[in-house]
Amino acid sequence: MENLVYIALFAPLVSSLFAGLFAMSPRKTFVGVVSSLLLFISFISSAVLGYHIATTGANVHVTMMDWISVADLHIPFGFIADHVSVTMMVVVSLVSTIVHIYSIGYMDHDKSFNRFFSYLSAFVFSMLVLVMSDNFAGLFIGWEGVGVCSWLLIGFWYHKPDVSREENPSISPSWAANEAFIMNRIADLGMLVGLFIIFWSTGSLQYDVVFSQIPNLAPAVLTAAAMALFIGAMGKSAQFPLHTWLTDAMEGPTPVSALIHAATMVTAGVFLVIRANPIFSVTPEVSYFIAALGTFVAFFAASMALVNRDLKRIIAFSTLSQLGYMFAAAGLGAYWIALFHLAAHAFFKALLFLGAGNVMHAMHGELDIFKMGGLKKQMRWTYAYMGLASLALAGIPPLAGFFSKDAIIETAFNEGTLILWAMLVITAGMTAFYSFRQVFLTFLGDERYKEFGIHPHEMYGFVLIAMSPLAILAVIAGFFRDWFNSFIIHLLPNYEMSENTHHLALILGAIVLVVAVSGIILAYKKYAKGLKRSEKTENGLIYKLLINQYYIPKIYEALITKPYAEISKLMWTKVDMRIVDATVDGIAKFIYKSGDGSRKMQTGNLSNYLNWMAGGALALLFIAVASSVIG
Amino acid sequence: MSFILSILIFFPVVAGILGFIVEKGSARVYGISIAAIEFILSLWLWMNFDSTSASMQFVEFFPIVKDFGINYYVGVDGISLFLVVMTTLMTLIGMTSMTIKTEIKNMVVTLLFLEMTMVGVFLALDAIVFYFFWELSLVPMLYIIGAWGGPLRVYASIKFFLYTFTGSLIMLVGMLFVAYSFYSITGVWSFALTDWYALKFDLNYQFWLFLAFFVGFAIKVPMFPFHTWLPYAHGQAPTIGSVILAAVLLKMGTYGFVRFSLPMFPDASVMMILPIAIISIIMIIYTAMVAYAQEDMKQVIAYSSVSHMGIIMLGIFAMNSQGITGSIFQMLSHGIVSGALFMLVGVIYDRTHTKIMSNFGGLATIMPKYALVFGIMLMASVGLPLTIGFVGEFLVLIGFYKVSPILTILAGTSIIVGAIYMLSVYKKSFFGEVTNEENKKLKDLNAKELWSFIPLVAIVIWLGIYPKPVLTPIDNSVQAMLSFMKEKAITPEAKNMIIATQAAKEAK
Amino acid sequence: MIGLNHYLIVAGLLFAIGLIGVIRRRNLLMLFFATEIMLNAANVAFAAISHYYNDLSGQMFAFFIIAIAASEVAIGLGLLILIYKKQGTLDLDDLASMKG
Repeated sequence: MENLVYIALFAPLVSSLFAGLFAMSPRKTFVGVVSSLLLFISFISSAVLGYHIATTGANVHVTMMDWISVADLHIPFGFIADHVSVTMMVVVSLVSTIVHIYSIGYMDHDKSFNRFFSYLSAFVFSMLVLVMSDNFAGLFIGWEGVGVCSWLLIGFWYHKPDVSREENPSISPSWAANEAFIMNRIADLGMLVGLFIIFWSTGSLQYDVVFSQIPNLAPAVLTAAAMALFIGAMGKSAQFPLHTWLTDAMEGPTPVSALIHAATMVTAGVFLVIRANPIFSVTPEVSYFIAALGTFVAFFAASMALVNRDLKRIIAFSTLSQLGYMFAAAGLGAYWIALFHLAAHAFFKALLFLGAGNVMHAMHGELDIFKMGGLKKQMRWTYAYMGLASLALAGIPPLAGFFSKDAIIETAFNEGTLILWAMLVITAGMTAFYSFRQVFLTFLGDERYKEFGIHPHEMYGFVLIAMSPLAILAVIAGFFRDWFNSFIIHLLPNYEMSENTHHLALILGAIVLVVAVSGIILAYKKYAKGLKRSEKTENGLIYKLLINQYYIPKIYEALITKPYAEISKLMWTKVDMRIVDATVDGIAKFIYKSGDGSRKMQTGNLSNYLNWMAGGALALLFIAVASSVIG
Repeated sequence: MSFILSILIFFPVVAGILGFIVEKGSARVYGISIAAIEFILSLWLWMNFDSTSASMQFVEFFPIVKDFGINYYVGVDGISLFLVVMTTLMTLIGMTSMTIKTEIKNMVVTLLFLEMTMVGVFLALDAIVFYFFWELSLVPMLYIIGAWGGPLRVYASIKFFLYTFTGSLIMLVGMLFVAYSFYSITGVWSFALTDWYALKFDLNYQFWLFLAFFVGFAIKVPMFPFHTWLPYAHGQAPTIGSVILAAVLLKMGTYGFVRFSLPMFPDASVMMILPIAIISIIMIIYTAMVAYAQEDMKQVIAYSSVSHMGIIMLGIFAMNSQGITGSIFQMLSHGIVSGALFMLVGVIYDRTHTKIMSNFGGLATIMPKYALVFGIMLMASVGLPLTIGFVGEFLVLIGFYKVSPILTILAGTSIIVGAIYMLSVYKKSFFGEVTNEENKKLKDLNAKELWSFIPLVAIVIWLGIYPKPVLTPIDNSVQAMLSFMKEKAITPEAKNMIIATQAAKEAK
Repeated sequence: MIGLNHYLIVAGLLFAIGLIGVIRRRNLLMLFFATEIMLNAANVAFAAISHYYNDLSGQMFAFFIIAIAASEVAIGLGLLILIYKKQGTLDLDDLASMKG
């Protein structure tokens, strides 16, 4: 079993290095094939490990070697496959394998094909390090590793130049990549501080040691640690106010968006909260804050998705919104539900993104849904996949989203946080609306793309087949809810609804369902027949606010980016050059000038020198006498 | 090999003097072979170093001026060992990658002379010997900047020389005072560091002596606001000069703090934690911002050096093993990474004869290997885990967190501001379209350049994944020094501080 | 009775005269005379103090000074003649080739 842990972990690394060998040579299909195979091996190992853990209930824990060891700080490279991490491993490796296969088709014409696989596999490796590590420092390695891979992949088409924000809201891939990296770094500082607090109060960074120490710790320490860790989670999971990078990250190739910015990396924050649940469950204030922020983000992101015209950005906002749901669940203490939604979401959101990738591929890179329509004819399978995924996302039974999202909404009711509950219900309606607005605008109605001379075509067959496991999982994953519950509560605290909620479960479910279905119907009425744009709505205040993302990117630019650049410039030209350096040069000049001034004493006239000498001798005499008198 | 340290110190200079009779065409090969032998010797030292012991090893001692207690006294411990290895390595790599065409023989001899002074500084255990090498190191650097530098070379080299020289004179006064105090207590003169360690000064004396040494070291580091010589020196120096300056010469300052200030003046050091931490944080944030504003690629790296040295300074004054060991590791890491970055700037400068980033753009398309190496070094510079840059930064911050959480959070912004300027350099130079037509013809790294970068990349990754062989000896020596400081401290505040920063688990 | 103080006062006066000569005179030859006066002032003081303490080393010093002054005058006058031949003047205001 220990070997399986290593195989699951290192197969993606081997894949990355293998593809990296060919990074600078021309496109070779076998690179993609070998990478996908290695990823598949990783998936099989994870699945076997999962089966092993499910049947025996025993964790597999390996310690590879020491990493940092100074004084009483000991950090090993240790990996653990337990109920939580194996769930993540299976999800990550499965989605990754599918995305790898998908990419063979999607990146077909890209001359950096090999490089892409190298980065993508490197990402999977980092993600696995993140979920499998048995200590916080190892988690941080993966945490930063996925950040770098995300940077590389968002900026994959680095050769595109910067354009104005009006032309492209993300300016350029390289700009978006840097934004993502730097914003994550801000949060990572919080995470590091969390690590420091934990280390100095427990003397270790190993999960088991830290969690066993929790009863001995002061509440203030725990609150600080939980808060700091959650700041880290906010960056990676793009929670408000660090959310702007996620939509800009859509500049990366679509498989990247599917894998990193929907299914895996962005859920790392949720994973952290779940992993560190012993800390969060004893800090109710922080947990409540997490739940409230999650609910807010769910609503906030969904509202921006309502009006957006960019196919990928809509899905990105939807991801943001679903992450909000997960945090709401985790914050309310329903860790296993959060994890369940994480897994279910990974399946249908990856499917949705890959479907969007198909559309984009067909439309030659066009992403504006107002320029699409009627694609159903050419892209029957993609339509089916995206429709299915949207149904799952909207929470229509019996698809996966219904079971997981419904449970979260029910939890909010069960906890008595009715405001959160109401917001989550409304968000569910909005989710249904924007998902189907996008599906209908893309696939139904008049064929607007003809104006632009585009000839869409369906994706390669093998790609469509590769996507099918995701589609199947998006349909059936929900049925495993009870099984998953009994599996995961070996490690995570169980969360059960109260009697009262249990009685009302049907009604609650029905409310959500009605809201969601009416969202879909509204979208159908408005968009299924074709696109009718109304000047009045589009010039309205709310529409403007939403389409501009509440002007937050512009506010950040005006309040942070620009002032930072200007202050930096000021620091350099004014403070460093005019004050600090000028002082140094001033001292040097003073010495030089005083020498220059006293040079005039050197008249060349012996008589003058003798006068100076006599004066000096007298002065010395005077000082000698004076000091002997005083001293 | 019982005189290994003397061989390490004097072999380069002897070979350098012999280098004058070497034919001009083979001077470079000669220099590389000498530097390679020297590097192998330093590796031999490492292999034979007893990493379980914290004390001075391979000690050599013989009197020079007996009546004044001036001795040739050298030794090596965990703290200095790796600085020596790094010095010989960076000299070798710098010499290999050197592209200077004019007066190559003089350059080789100068570099070998410089190598002697640098190794000497790290190995010296006698204050006079230390001071001798410390000052002597200015001369070859002055010559390198002044003879091979850019248009402003004379201004830059004189500024560098006079600035650091002034500082070290004040340090010399401090040294003479310590020696005199030793004389007035024991009746004999001694400049041996091991003797000086035993001296206990009043807090007042400690404070003033600390300041005297501080001026000398701080200018060398360089600490804010004494840093302005550095951008000029880097801006004007040839690539090889910048590499050695950033990789090794700056470390002499921080090494001085560890070797002299901490063990000799423990109480004053504890007293000065706050002011030094504040200066360090100014260094970290302020210079990072200044770096972000630069248009010249080399100046960005130059200012980033100051920012990284801020982290190192902070760690030294964490007063626990995590911080100090992390600092020393960060010295190695910064030496290798900034050295490599300066070499990388040199590569593009050799091809385009400009360092202004607006002339670049889209280099990743034209020079993918160059972009890859630059990318790795960039990530090491911003402290990505599993690269050499993370280990030191992490240890420093975790160490200083025990001293002050708030200041650590401020200092921790280095991971943000560092990413900002480094990524913007990368974006400006490597991403986007190729705007400059002339750049389309640029050649990627050639074999010679590639072979000077491969070892550095290997070290960056190796020590990022497995830093233990380096950390353990450092940690041993640092812990010994800390327990010595704890014993020696005279004020209860200092004693408590040193004890408090060690303990991992504090009682509620 | 003429005591030590009288001698010292005379020596002081002589020294002052010499010093004023050194400061005020412009002619090199006159400067020489002035320095000789100062040396002799020192001689007088040496001799007087030597007698007062009954210690001969003071008088020995006076002899030394006389010998040195003599040799100095010999070399100095030689130099003066050379300067005069070269520059045609001994006025200090005209000899300013060392101006910085």
